[in-house]
Amino acid sequence: MATYSNQHWLLSHIRNSFISTDETGICETVMLSDDMPKHYLRKFGNAGAGGDLQSQRRRGQKPPPTATPERNIRNPDALLLDVDYICYPGLDLSDDEEDMSTHSFDIQMYPEVGAHRFRSNTAQKLEKLDIAKRRAARIKSINYQEEVQPPDSEDFFRRKEVKCPDDNRAKSAEKQSKSDEDDLSDNGVQSKLTEQLAKTPKQTQNRFIEFARFDGTSQVGLQTKRINVYLNMLPEPDRNYPLKICVIASAKIQEVIGFVCYKTSIQYPNVPLKSLQHYALYMTEDNDDMEDFPPLDNREPCSKFGFSHLTLAERRALAPVTRVDYHGQLGTKSMTSEEDKAALAEAAVKALQNINLNGGADPGGGGKGKGKGKGAATEEIDTFREYEKRLLNHNDMLEAPMHRTFRLSIIDKRFFKSDVTLGISGERIEIDQCKNAKFWPQKKPVSTPIDLVAHCEIVEKRQLKALLRIWLKSNSSSPSFSSGCTSAPINASVTTLNMGSGSGSAGIAHSPSSPGHSTSGFFTNSNIRFKHYDFDTDTHTAELIYNKLNCILEMRSSDLRREFLLQKERKQEKRQLKL
Amino acid sequence: MENMGDQLILATGGYDHTIKVWQAHTGNCIKTMRFVETSQVNALDRTPDKTRLAACGYQCIRLYDLESNCTAPVINFDGVQKNVTRLGFQEDGNWMFTAGEDHHVRIWDMISAPPHCSRVFDCEAPVNAACLHPNQVEIGMGSQNGSVFLWDVKSEKHERIVPEVDASIQDVAISPDGRYLAAANNKGNCYIWSLTSSPDQKMSTLRPTKKIPAHSRYILRCKFSPDSRLLLTTSGDGTACIWKTEDFTKWRELCIENCWVWDAAFSADSKWLFTASSDGVARLWKLQTKSPIRDYTGHTKAITALSFKDEIVGK
Repeated sequence: MATYSNQHWLLSHIRNSFISTDETGICETVMLSDDMPKHYLRKFGNAGAGGDLQSQRRRGQKPPPTATPERNIRNPDALLLDVDYICYPGLDLSDDEEDMSTHSFDIQMYPEVGAHRFRSNTAQKLEKLDIAKRRAARIKSINYQEEVQPPDSEDFFRRKEVKCPDDNRAKSAEKQSKSDEDDLSDNGVQSKLTEQLAKTPKQTQNRFIEFARFDGTSQVGLQTKRINVYLNMLPEPDRNYPLKICVIASAKIQEVIGFVCYKTSIQYPNVPLKSLQHYALYMTEDNDDMEDFPPLDNREPCSKFGFSHLTLAERRALAPVTRVDYHGQLGTKSMTSEEDKAALAEAAVKALQNINLNGGADPGGGGKGKGKGKGAATEEIDTFREYEKRLLNHNDMLEAPMHRTFRLSIIDKRFFKSDVTLGISGERIEIDQCKNAKFWPQKKPVSTPIDLVAHCEIVEKRQLKALLRIWLKSNSSSPSFSSGCTSAPINASVTTLNMGSGSGSAGIAHSPSSPGHSTSGFFTNSNIRFKHYDFDTDTHTAELIYNKLNCILEMRSSDLRREFLLQKERKQEKRQLKL
Repeated sequence: MENMGDQLILATGGYDHTIKVWQAHTGNCIKTMRFVETSQVNALDRTPDKTRLAACGYQCIRLYDLESNCTAPVINFDGVQKNVTRLGFQEDGNWMFTAGEDHHVRIWDMISAPPHCSRVFDCEAPVNAACLHPNQVEIGMGSQNGSVFLWDVKSEKHERIVPEVDASIQDVAISPDGRYLAAANNKGNCYIWSLTSSPDQKMSTLRPTKKIPAHSRYILRCKFSPDSRLLLTTSGDGTACIWKTEDFTKWRELCIENCWVWDAAFSADSKWLFTASSDGVARLWKLQTKSPIRDYTGHTKAITALSFKDEIVGK
């Protein structure tokens, strides 16, 4: 499989073969979606399907729908399978033998075996009995119901005189009357607990104690999971020996990380640990070689993964697209078209490529300085800072591509406001007018691929309200945008461009309160046009959207965004020069 | 691992069928032992030599070795019927008492080769609680039909009192100085008797002293502090109240909201208190400030019993 470079084949294969054997969870990205190989093929056609297949495909090209009946006749029992995999390019040219490769393997699961080796129930029972027997041999047994044997010796029950500290009492009572009502005087007695507590200041309470409850040892009736975890933050000799943990199977990866930290802090009290979000669990081989895969998803229960060994290490910065969130995507289904699905497939391929490309220690994949000596040192510090910043933002980054909707008002045609729902996910932004708008004609929902989105900024912030602006690439030739939205084109000093061919009204979205830009051409020396949507919302929501969207954009670091920011910078420089 | 004998440990058990052993001053869990799969832990006590931990539950009594790494019990009682609600040891570890819903309180000779039963007392109703008098021969008992007994195991005499009809006694306690017997019931009331022993070493006599309407709901445990100056009641109303034995007025109220406080234990100097509650967390409280200073998290269900054996290190 590794030598096979046909991306479509890989996607198909993953989808069909790994559905029941993959323990990494990675393949889920491919599988949980619609049939991505299909969309991939539709979008990329021959170009993506690998060179050697191109010519073959040309020879035997048939449109997929017509292929279906033919195949059903040939292989009627595979009817169900066919529907999904019909698009595999090798399919139309192949004979029956080759066809086999496109089918999923027949995988049968034996419920009592898990995925490993088969043992009969009897063998297991016998082993259990044997263990119980051996254990019982060491346990002394007493019959609760046995007859009473009175003690032989008269002295067995010996009455002890109770010292009645009468004097003490009197004294303390005296003291009591003197002292504060709410204060019980001690008699100078100190217990071992007091002594030990005094020696251990409060800070030593384990930071990760809340995760102690995921301990799976000796849980009765709960599924548990044993994992050997290599701890990357330990010094050399210890690092090579895994920490053996047993966790409750339902614990999420995030909680497993917490539990590992808890265990580590007890076992290696001298190793400083950072806070939880700095760490991630990575797949690992027995010999502790970290692979270049993304970490396990924090939100998944650990029972989902079948690893016996994992490595706890500091989170590395993510590749631009490493996880495509299909859960989010499901929510926006109503708006997705065939085109969108193809985009999804593309994203998945990108993700696969990134896994390969993202090797090495370079966290951002950005160009590293070539300078040596002093320059290199400062550069190193810079990269380090950059890296640190990325680490801190990590949680945001993880959550950013998840689909989320916001209710806010779009500022339409200079000053009209209408309530809309803004949906943001890792793939697109969507604007949908709320149903309750009666007066204005209903507008079609707008969906913009994230690739066309350049930047998000908060233009104006007041105590409660904020003006949020999302910049996107203006695509004047495309009639798909039907909402009043403005482009700020290159040459004109004051330009309003009617984007709303659907609604048939001129759109000027520069809000009257938006400072500065409205009277001057924003970008002057590029042939890319940018337009923007303006939203009116409360400060908090504005910040949420600002963070989320820019997080997504930063992770993708598209040329468009770079271009936009560059232009903006130049513009600002110019203005400063003027002043 | 440190030698367990040297460190102070707290043992907790609950509805998740496990017993956990904690390092008392740090809150770290040292050891987890499986209890019987069908039973919660009703009570825990350590042998006076601190090497073993006894636990009782539904149809089971088990003793665990605290010094080995083995988490299996070393002694198991067979043929136990119904719930065993309390157990405890005589101060030299010579014998152990168990109280159960089979109406019986039994004394177990723990020094003879196989331990055997050397006394039985029939309470004629399920026994909810039992405690040992500091004179080491009398046992206070409380039953579900509301009776409070004082039983002299040496002479086998006993006395019976019913402080409140139609109430079930949930716990009994005798102060370490032997002055008071306390019994708490499911109506939230706590009754106090003065105990007086005659010099001719006959059984102590009980004189009603006080009735405290301590809680609005179920009282689960009552306990005297080691210095006998405090009485503790824990309740299903989410509080643990501490009363001064001087005049039985309330001194402190510790609150764990929306939880049942199932059990509690004082430190030897009566300055600290461990509580076990239905949120699965054991807590250590500084009584002076009423503030919780340690959490012992790890149980997945309610903690119903705890045991802590402290010692005095000096004045």
